[in-house]
Amino acid sequence: MTLVNFTNLDFDQIKVSLKEYLRSNSNFTDYDFEGSNLSTIIDLLAYNTYISSYNANFVSNEVFIDSATLRENVVSLARNIGYVPRSRTAAKANISFFVDTSTFSTNPLTLTLKKGTVCLSSSTFGDTNFSFAIKGDVTVPVVNGIALFDDIEVYEGSLITANFTVNSNNPNQKYILENSSIDTSTISVLVRNTESSSVSRNFVFSDSILNVTSESRVFFIQEIEDQRYELIFGDGIFGKKLDNLNYIDVSYIITSGESGNGVSDFKFGGRIVDNNGRVVTDGISLVTTNVASRSGKEIESVESIKKYAPRIYAAQNRAVTANDYESIIPKIYPETESISVYGGEDLEPPRYGKVFISIKPFNGPFVSSQVKDNIKKLLRKYSVAGIVPEIVDLKYLFIEFDTTIYYNTNLASSPDSVRSIVSQNITKYAESSELNKYGARFKYSKFLKIIDDGSNSITSNITKIRMRRDLFPLVNQFADYEICFGNRFHIKDRNGFNIKSSGFRINGLSETLYISDVPDSNLRTGKIVIFRLISPTEFVIVASNAGTINYEKGEIILFPIDIRETIKFSGGNPVIEISTIPKSNDIIGLQDLYLQIDINNSTLNAVSDEISSGADASGTSYTVTSSYENGNLVRS
Amino acid sequence: MPLERISKGFKDISMTFQSNPLNRDLIGIKNETAISRSVKNLVLTSQGEKFFDSSFGTKVSKLLFENIDEMTASIIRDEISFTLNTYEPRIEIISISVKPNYDENEFAVTIQYKIIGIDVLPQQLSFALQPTR
Repeated sequence: MTLVNFTNLDFDQIKVSLKEYLRSNSNFTDYDFEGSNLSTIIDLLAYNTYISSYNANFVSNEVFIDSATLRENVVSLARNIGYVPRSRTAAKANISFFVDTSTFSTNPLTLTLKKGTVCLSSSTFGDTNFSFAIKGDVTVPVVNGIALFDDIEVYEGSLITANFTVNSNNPNQKYILENSSIDTSTISVLVRNTESSSVSRNFVFSDSILNVTSESRVFFIQEIEDQRYELIFGDGIFGKKLDNLNYIDVSYIITSGESGNGVSDFKFGGRIVDNNGRVVTDGISLVTTNVASRSGKEIESVESIKKYAPRIYAAQNRAVTANDYESIIPKIYPETESISVYGGEDLEPPRYGKVFISIKPFNGPFVSSQVKDNIKKLLRKYSVAGIVPEIVDLKYLFIEFDTTIYYNTNLASSPDSVRSIVSQNITKYAESSELNKYGARFKYSKFLKIIDDGSNSITSNITKIRMRRDLFPLVNQFADYEICFGNRFHIKDRNGFNIKSSGFRINGLSETLYISDVPDSNLRTGKIVIFRLISPTEFVIVASNAGTINYEKGEIILFPIDIRETIKFSGGNPVIEISTIPKSNDIIGLQDLYLQIDINNSTLNAVSDEISSGADASGTSYTVTSSYENGNLVRS
Repeated sequence: MPLERISKGFKDISMTFQSNPLNRDLIGIKNETAISRSVKNLVLTSQGEKFFDSSFGTKVSKLLFENIDEMTASIIRDEISFTLNTYEPRIEIISISVKPNYDENEFAVTIQYKIIGIDVLPQQLSFALQPTR
């Protein structure tokens, strides 16, 4: 009998294989008794086989990018398909200050803020103090005795310099930056002919060999072990080749990444010299913060490299399909938390030749117009003829819930404690990556489980779900509106009032008005009506055909309407909240709709479950909670 | 009528790894010698020493650093008894004697057992347990 299954990763199974072998091939018999000498030998052989199998398995896993776990292997495999993982990114802040030189004995013409550390966080931020630096000197003129350093962009971290002398006798010379935590976008490379030369030439970073000639002064980078980086210079074919004894000056910023975000108070900690070379220490004003530090990010994770490296390779630096855009945009705009791209041909009516991009940034709900323009500019490098990218704002589809939690009073100290735990769990779920992505799905059963699992005192819950879109009206002008929910509406009442809205006023009428619906007999479409309330349960229709509603598509169209003001505001902007009950409690984020659980507009009640606690075992005074919506005509 | 267990005999290898001068084969040990070696192995193996079986062996080596007295001797006896009953199905213990030898700082161990399945006289295995470090 031959040994089989030698790749088994279970020690006991290997031992069994060895014993089976001995059973049919050996004169020895004592392998079955654990105290025997033979058993010790078998243990040793099995252990050796186990370690070999484990190593073989481990090595073969590390060969493929999908199964590799060690960062340096994943990075190395990504390198083979031309992908350089994103480095850590320094948080950036904008600051201003001035220097009053009127009391100086000699009036300088200019002042120079030297590169390196400029300011420090003025109070301890968390447990750490952060320093902020600039990459190069900043010189400003002195006007009327004042030198104004206005809107200086500072990077969180420390500026580090490194030098290398090119040795062409060493074919294996490597230019390795010894620090980890480098923001590679801050790497600056100057090359001098020799160390004593005074003339230096700037080399720029290149992420591809496209348009790189034999004379291009470029350098490439690659991540090596321990999250460090190696600089690679041209070979005389792609990029200018360095000569023997060339002296390389490298400067870069090492940063704390994400933890440097949010610093808004600074104190000066830099070095200023005047045009005569004298160091300035007096007359420096307090530092004012124009923009607090933001956009700091950690190094790209192994999971992200595994996800994007093959996609970037597939895109081949060309943005053609929606997937290409989804891969390229996080590369050129690292602030992207989630992205949705769809072609204009998917729209109704189709808009051929356009691709619509919707980006959810990490820090905030929307991408500013400036960033949008910048992304469009950067996308040009990848664009092909005939496709026009258009970056559209995020459309949030809010999910509101009304939850009544039943809990056993013997197991919880107070209803507030139950509510608090559940609220924390829901917040965690709302912030989780399961929901915070395009194409997300709100899973009703999971949501109920999250509530039930919050505490062992919770015996059950009754949860009602609503979905809501916010309509930001163009005030004092006629405009028509289309509000898509991307989910089918539930028709609770054939007479209408399945749609509820917050109040608004239109020009020409002083009363507060609301929107609702009246279904057609086919129960697929209907009309939008505008009404006013006389009492909470009585209403008067003001406009009986103010728009259309498609219950199946989850779409509301309002005919031109001149809205003057609204009762509610969001972020200072007038808003009309429109909510309805979905046909299915599982809500999807269709196309560019981004799901968001709105805890502030939801309710969470805790009710004593007197049957479980034993206070009212017969259930005579049990508090009943309806599983259906209230009968209000409008949003509260 | 109880079943009678008849064994073909037990054969183990010798840990000396010496070869037989006549046929140059590895020296084997048989029956009562193999079993006495196994008993000694079981007693002298510390728990955790065997791969993936942390309960195999005894705590005897640790107990040798306790005070040398009857109490420790009793614990050692229990340890030996439990281990042999669990891991050595080929023997039936007749008696286990663990006596502290105060002058030599050791415990004298004598184990008497019957071998199940082969027709030999009851065996006696004596050895001294001494802390080594």
